Amino acid sequence: MCTSLRISVIFCCVSLFLNLTCDTQKEVKGARIVSLSPAMTEILFSLGAGDRLVGVTTFCDYPEQAKSIAKVGDFSHPSIERIVGLRPEMVIVNLPEQMRITRELEKLRIKIFTSSPRSLDEIFAEILALGKELDLNKQADSLVTYMKGHLQPVKTKHRKKVYVEISPKPIITVGANTFLNDLIDRAGGVNIFGDLNKDYPVVSQEAVIVRDPDLIIALHPETVTGRTGWQKINAIKNGRVYTGLNQDHLMRPGPRLVQGFEALAKVIND
Amino acid sequence: MTKTFLLILIFLLAVAAAILIGPTRLDPDILQLRLSRVILGIFAGGILAFCGCLLQGLFGNPLVEPYTLGSASGAALGASVGILVFGAISPLLAFAGSLGVGFFVYTVARIEGGLLRDRLILAGVVLSFLCSSLVMIVMVIGGRELYEILYLLMGYLGIIINATNRIMIAALIFVSMIIVAFLYRYHRELDIISQGTETAAGLGIDIQKFSLIIFFSAALLVGLTVSIVGAIGFVGLIIPHVSKLIYGPKHRYNLAASFMLGATFLLLADTLSRVITVYELPVGVVTSLVGVPFFLYLYRK
Repeated sequence: MCTSLRISVIFCCVSLFLNLTCDTQKEVKGARIVSLSPAMTEILFSLGAGDRLVGVTTFCDYPEQAKSIAKVGDFSHPSIERIVGLRPEMVIVNLPEQMRITRELEKLRIKIFTSSPRSLDEIFAEILALGKELDLNKQADSLVTYMKGHLQPVKTKHRKKVYVEISPKPIITVGANTFLNDLIDRAGGVNIFGDLNKDYPVVSQEAVIVRDPDLIIALHPETVTGRTGWQKINAIKNGRVYTGLNQDHLMRPGPRLVQGFEALAKVIND
Repeated sequence: MTKTFLLILIFLLAVAAAILIGPTRLDPDILQLRLSRVILGIFAGGILAFCGCLLQGLFGNPLVEPYTLGSASGAALGASVGILVFGAISPLLAFAGSLGVGFFVYTVARIEGGLLRDRLILAGVVLSFLCSSLVMIVMVIGGRELYEILYLLMGYLGIIINATNRIMIAALIFVSMIIVAFLYRYHRELDIISQGTETAAGLGIDIQKFSLIIFFSAALLVGLTVSIVGAIGFVGLIIPHVSKLIYGPKHRYNLAASFMLGATFLLLADTLSRVITVYELPVGVVTSLVGVPFFLYLYRK
């Protein structure tokens, strides 16, 4: 009798303790998040929910606090075991780049929040959706309002032809369905490859020369001047090649697009 | 004589096509661009086919080429490590890869007084696989360099030529042409060796030394080519066969014809790769797409 009583008392205590811990976890929705998207990591910090992140990628280097969070691999090759080991309530993935890992997470019935913004509007929609998911509607609203307010279209009469080079070898640029295309448009420019229906197409040197951009923005460290055959391009003739823009401000669909946009608008309307 | 005349005519036509056909109208700037592309095409196509012809003659095996001997894959591995570590293709690493794999294959196949030909190809193919998986590891580690390595693996002539790489590319082409000229002088020895190693030894040719020279010069040439335009497949395998169908077994004609035909074939493939889509395709995709059916057709005839 005595032992069984003791066991039942212990059992009650344990279950009570379990209940309590469960209750405290229920207070915060999505208290354990793994973000495989550097932009989403930034957004979470902006929403004041950076402390809910238990895992990020090695590419998640902003803000400073993100660097001290456990790493689950890089952007292209996150480790499924490391993610599962962190017992996340939600994993934020980037599509289409992280399709493979997303399928595996789905098999394990782990909750997934997907991010694949192809326009500024989609970025705003994703922030609002994330806010809803995490009970942070107010913060999400104000972040979107802040971003919209700072990404107002610049009015110009002469829209400059802009060529953005993401990689020189092979030449990768920005196509129509991208937030960068939107940013160029709002900053008062025209993307010379805005007619190509592919996000980040590989194009030829000839195509760049024929489309004759007024300015070239290189989002990589290599030089653009001195290339064979490029000398008659307007941008090269007029010395309007910009290599110093912060790549992360322009390539990450997060809050720092505001800074990227301001820099972009400045060089386009210089 | 008429054959040679036709060969030159087709080559010139290919050059003209490569210069004139394109998505845009020709003007001096575009001409400059296409000319540099033509030069790269002649260089790469010619050298790969030349090496294929050389190695097929030396080892008397129709499957031998820079790919099956592993030197192309070795060079690609070296070049991708260069991309990962230095952010650019390093010719020295490409040679190192090509020569390193060449050396390993050679050691495996070497026996007392000669080379075991079957073992040579087996070792080459096996090492090719090894290099491919190592390249995959480099791609996984790299992430952002993935595209560049992908184009390196398939070969691409549309590279940007700028002030920093112009002189280096010119120098590499110059050096490789000297090596080609040097190797061409051995056409007679190749004729004898492809008849059989015993006859060759009887005629006083030091086969061991000769194989060593040819083998490593070819590996060096492949390393040079890969470091500039990437590992373009298929040219080195099929072109020597086409040349043999036209000229017979004599290496004096075969080596030269392989060079010409290789250049012609690559120029045509590159022209196609520029006009099929709005986007730029790696030329290696086209060489296989066009080359395989053409080759099968030739062999059925």
